[in-house]
Amino acid sequence: MNLADETRMTTGSFWNDTGKTGISAWIFSTDHKRIGLLYFWSVLGFFLVGVVLGVLLRIELMAPGRTIMGPQTYNALFTVHGVVMIFLFIIPGFQGSFGNMVMPIQIGARDVSFPRLNLFSWWLYITGAAVILTSLFTGGGPPDTGWTFYVPFSARTGTNVSLAVFGVFMIGFSSILTGVNFVTTIHRLRAEGMTWGRLPLFVWSLYATAWVQILATPILGITLVLILAERLLGTGLFDPGRGGDPVMYQHLFWIYSHPAVYIMILPAMGVVSDIIPVFSRKPIFGYKMIAFSSIAIAAFGSLVWGHHMYTSGMSDTAILVFSFLTFIVAIPSAIKVFNWVSTLYRGSISLEAPMLFALSFILLFSIGGLSGLILGAAATDIHVHDTHFVVGHFHYVIFGGSGFAFFAAMHYWLPKFYGRRYAEKPAVVAWALMFVGFNVMYFTMQVLGMKGMPRRYYDYLPEFATLNLVATVGSWILVSGLMLMLHNLFRGLFQGVTFEGNPWGGATLEWSIPTPPPTENFTEEPVVTHGPYDFKGAGIP
Amino acid sequence: MDGQSPRCPPVTEICARRRQLLLSFFAGFSLAVTLLVPAGPASAGDQQGAQRHARAERKGEASAGLDERLGQKVPLDITFRDESGRPVRLGELVTGPTIILPVYYSCTNICNILQGGLARVIPELKLTPGEEYRVLSVSFDETETPELASKYKRMYLTAMHAPFPADAWRFLTGDAESICRLTDAAGYRFQRKGRDFIHPVASLVVARDGTIVRYLYGTTFLPKDLTLALIEAREGKVGITIRKVVGYCFSFDPVAKTYVFNLLRVSATVVILCTGGFLAFLILTGRKRLRYPSRKS
Repeated sequence: MNLADETRMTTGSFWNDTGKTGISAWIFSTDHKRIGLLYFWSVLGFFLVGVVLGVLLRIELMAPGRTIMGPQTYNALFTVHGVVMIFLFIIPGFQGSFGNMVMPIQIGARDVSFPRLNLFSWWLYITGAAVILTSLFTGGGPPDTGWTFYVPFSARTGTNVSLAVFGVFMIGFSSILTGVNFVTTIHRLRAEGMTWGRLPLFVWSLYATAWVQILATPILGITLVLILAERLLGTGLFDPGRGGDPVMYQHLFWIYSHPAVYIMILPAMGVVSDIIPVFSRKPIFGYKMIAFSSIAIAAFGSLVWGHHMYTSGMSDTAILVFSFLTFIVAIPSAIKVFNWVSTLYRGSISLEAPMLFALSFILLFSIGGLSGLILGAAATDIHVHDTHFVVGHFHYVIFGGSGFAFFAAMHYWLPKFYGRRYAEKPAVVAWALMFVGFNVMYFTMQVLGMKGMPRRYYDYLPEFATLNLVATVGSWILVSGLMLMLHNLFRGLFQGVTFEGNPWGGATLEWSIPTPPPTENFTEEPVVTHGPYDFKGAGIP
Repeated sequence: MDGQSPRCPPVTEICARRRQLLLSFFAGFSLAVTLLVPAGPASAGDQQGAQRHARAERKGEASAGLDERLGQKVPLDITFRDESGRPVRLGELVTGPTIILPVYYSCTNICNILQGGLARVIPELKLTPGEEYRVLSVSFDETETPELASKYKRMYLTAMHAPFPADAWRFLTGDAESICRLTDAAGYRFQRKGRDFIHPVASLVVARDGTIVRYLYGTTFLPKDLTLALIEAREGKVGITIRKVVGYCFSFDPVAKTYVFNLLRVSATVVILCTGGFLAFLILTGRKRLRYPSRKS
């Protein structure tokens, strides 16, 4: 960040607006762009930690038996991989980084409604993250429960679950605060002429996500407090030996954690909805339906948590209802996919890096979504429950979906904030490597799951050896692409050629202001006269 | 009497009290209670059994249950049959503090777990069996025979892996009338469902004169709890048990489950009202932008 500070060339940009220097210009700044970048670098750091852990897991699974670690280490690693990726990377990822950086500009505001609260939520996040990291090295060692912290094991294991759960609890509060802040901002700080029908779809998706954060995250908080009560006070709420019920824990956990999946994917859909029209040179097809489907996904997505528990002991009626609702969620998701594809139709498509990532989002998310229907149908779910199929499905949706959209957003928006461009060709090569590596790895995992390879086992039967080796090789291809992408992107952002104006030809407000953006975004009060994808109205050729 | 015990008339429901008690727990009562009752880890089989049982109990919730009759007496003149088929008066067996386990021997899950749990903990008691206390398993299935009782007696005494006087744990059977007199006096309501029974998982500790001094809930016994109950029975003390309170708060029977979700409903209502109010406020107040020029110097 400091390095970047020195490379700022435009006076008046937010890079050189504070009297402070060094880290305090960042960690005490209430500017949404600085907080956004703080979030960005934090979540990216944790993402890389998660990647390293994931690669280690894949290496362990490269061959049957013990390869590089024993079962306990494996349990700890997949738990920490999950906790870091879910709670430290992808849940705060979009809202915190690109949400903060871009959303206020897109609606024509100078900042969010509560800038100090915004900074506080980053502090909560980073403190929670520090607590989680501390839990890895203290007490009984890193948690080994899986990121879901299922009871009764999480109530009994000697590992440092309490501290990790407390860290996640803090991050939950950070998430709620960001949600409240964004909802208020979107309601109150829209510029003159920025009607609800002219909100960029990224903002719509953040709005839907913010409501999920506000409504669902408190339940996670309560659930985590109950785990702490179970561990520290021995309340017996989840212990059948004392009249409790472990299935109740699963209900409470998934009432939050399934909507949380939509916290992860909705903003990604927003990013893709913003990128596709720009690189197709065509207004988005079905604006209203995409905006509405974000809300519909947020609403229905809150009612499907039971599909994680078909094998945990539920009535057949409940299974039927949850299965039905799960299929309902597929409808707004499919609406989005069809609208994106319709936008591409007869568009003047330019395949630059952000677009390539956005297009691969559509494909990978569709594969993940369709495999989700296999899991959402009770009969097939029982066959593949707790197998690698679930792991493959989840990574298709969250990594292939949200992750790739995050990379798309990085290539699309970061140059705007740094005022420098990256080299296009290495970005495309990196994308290709990642796309190939991703599919080799996770598609193979889905096949493995169909064949019966369970998840969360450090060892497996010899018949799974070949496919596991293939998946591990895929992970290496994926990671080499990732390294190339990051190297190219950040080299460009710090040392690349500078640019002014609107490199992609976007019609949303962030492209109408100087690059990098000035401190308060707009030199004069913006008045919005056209829609976010009305390229003609914005005077873009 | 649809849905109710064919023999023992149902007594009043206890769910309302449980509801109140749960609320008081969440008001901060829990800490004291839970500190007094250390966690007793239950085996996996125990949990499965409890879940199966809970499911079974759900269907018969109207009639199966337990109403504590602390301080009241069980009639000691009831006659049962012992393992050899000999008639025996309850008074002959209750010669000191006595643990009574209402079970049926052919039960495929929870009764075995209950008696097995007791068999596991008995060798750890510091009291002398036969002299300082006695255990009575009493079948509430009037069709069960002394031969069956005798078979189960051998099984549990063997399972104890410790010498134990045969006279100190008796396995009784009896006719429907005797059974009902005992269970009615104890406030223990059960219901036949096909070949099985729906019944509470509880045992009672009575003093020499038949006074009920303590109910013990669940299938896991802690030596400390049991010893304390037996000593209280010897001294004739009667008191509400900590476990009873805990049972009210956490019991997974369907009645208890209702109030657990009621609590959630209350908090969910609060959350929805708050967020609904927040949304209404935002919509009603509309856009509210600060004027340029800037807020910063």
